[in-house]
Amino acid sequence: MTSRDGAGYLAVALIAAPVVAGGLYSLAATVGIAGAGADGFTTARIIAVFGDGATWASLRFTLVSAFVATVIATATALSVSVLLRRSRVARAAIAIPLAVPHAAAALGVLLLLGQSGFLSRIAYALGLVSQPADFPAIVYDRAGTAMILTFAWKEFPFLALTAWAVLDAADESLSQVAQTLGASAHDIFTRITWPLLWRGVAPAVIAVFAFLIGQYEMAVLLAPSDPLPLSMLTYERALDANLQRRGEAHLLSLIALALTIVLVLVHERFRANSDALAQVVEHDA
Amino acid sequence: MPKSWRVFALLLLAVVSLTPVLALSVTAFGAAARYPEVWVSSGNGTEFLTLVRSAALWRALLTSVLLAIGTGVLATVFAFVAARTLSHATARARRIGFGAAFLPVIAPPIALGVGVQVLAIRAGLGGTTLGVLAAHVIPATGYLTLFLSGVLLSYDDALEDAARSLGAKPWTVFTRVTLPSLRLPLRQSVALGAMVSWGQLALTLIVGGGIVRSLPVELLSFVQSGDDRLGAAAALLLTIPPALVLGVAQLGARRTGVVT
Repeated sequence: MTSRDGAGYLAVALIAAPVVAGGLYSLAATVGIAGAGADGFTTARIIAVFGDGATWASLRFTLVSAFVATVIATATALSVSVLLRRSRVARAAIAIPLAVPHAAAALGVLLLLGQSGFLSRIAYALGLVSQPADFPAIVYDRAGTAMILTFAWKEFPFLALTAWAVLDAADESLSQVAQTLGASAHDIFTRITWPLLWRGVAPAVIAVFAFLIGQYEMAVLLAPSDPLPLSMLTYERALDANLQRRGEAHLLSLIALALTIVLVLVHERFRANSDALAQVVEHDA
Repeated sequence: MPKSWRVFALLLLAVVSLTPVLALSVTAFGAAARYPEVWVSSGNGTEFLTLVRSAALWRALLTSVLLAIGTGVLATVFAFVAARTLSHATARARRIGFGAAFLPVIAPPIALGVGVQVLAIRAGLGGTTLGVLAAHVIPATGYLTLFLSGVLLSYDDALEDAARSLGAKPWTVFTRVTLPSLRLPLRQSVALGAMVSWGQLALTLIVGGGIVRSLPVELLSFVQSGDDRLGAAAALLLTIPPALVLGVAQLGARRTGVVT
């Protein structure tokens, strides 16, 4: 190791230090040797968290809602990028959700889709409902419908921009060669455009999924109270009047951190595959 | 695909992108309409004054601005030092460095907050603006280290070497060569760092303990207390700076030909 490497490692250690120190503290608090209500080594908190149905319900809800939102965002982004590939208006339109901060987006959707929201009022004007209760309850519902839609609304522009970047960077000559060899437009799309597009976008899709698992800003305004998303359950435990339960927040935060790290490793793998494919395509072209 | 379909898709995209922002605007500036009215026509203009006179809203804006500027500047300083050091390290050290810088970026804010909160309390910064600032700087520094490392990959040290060989002292090289050469990316870095802080709710709530009232915290508080109008006004105030940053970035990219 050179002295320059030493300085590099030191700089990096300082950046990662708060996360590592926080993580280690959370680990110590999980086993009862640090933090509020610490009373010597114990596995009681671990047993309490994993034995609590609320934890599993929260994990299931968090993963399913993040997954469904990622699927909707990906489908929307890919459709937009392919159907409206050359449209400057489309590129300007997706800048709107990109610029709106998460909490603001959640409030916008709440005002729009709530039972006394704007859509409900428009439905009243059209004679479709006669009172707020007639409008479908899609905010704070157990499925987290409005929350999932907001997740997708906020994340599809990032995926669409990535898809456009992939399409813009793709070598047109591949499609042209296929065309001269008699391939139909459908064949070119399914055999060339789609594989390139998907491989290029997949790492961003994983990143979106990972981000949504830890999302708090949108969830706090739109999530149901039962089941709670993991981020809200962690926050609730962190403020619990019962000090023993505060320790559980540390374990829940470690679970969220572990989930994210696993997804980052998956992300890196996808990215490596994508880079390898790009090199092969470049070589063949 | 027929052109009519493309037009339909474009219209749908525009409507989907715009409606939540329209809902915020109508709620903030329209009269408090009772169900089923969409907009009260008898508004007398005092609605706007209630926004202007809301001390909580403007105090929160000031707090958010201070936090954003502080985060942007501090994180840029830390990240520049880290990125610069890493740019001179071997490939292996750089790879490990990027991985470590990625950690605070990807850590869920609540998970990060639960750990950092304890450190802030130990340092006597729990529930203070300084503590929240320190918490915001953590993910921002990671993010900006990655950004500035990318910038420095294509930065040529030759000018600095030339200045040094002509007898310039390290500080002179830094202020007369390095800083002017990197003025644009450093400005972008401050803006990006500020935006990382700007939308933060989870870290602010958990480290600030509800005492530090930034715009996102106040937005949540307005909505939870049933004041949608002030909540929507806070949401619109929150949207303006990222929209400006994004607009300037797109304009700059178009001018420099990065995006066509």
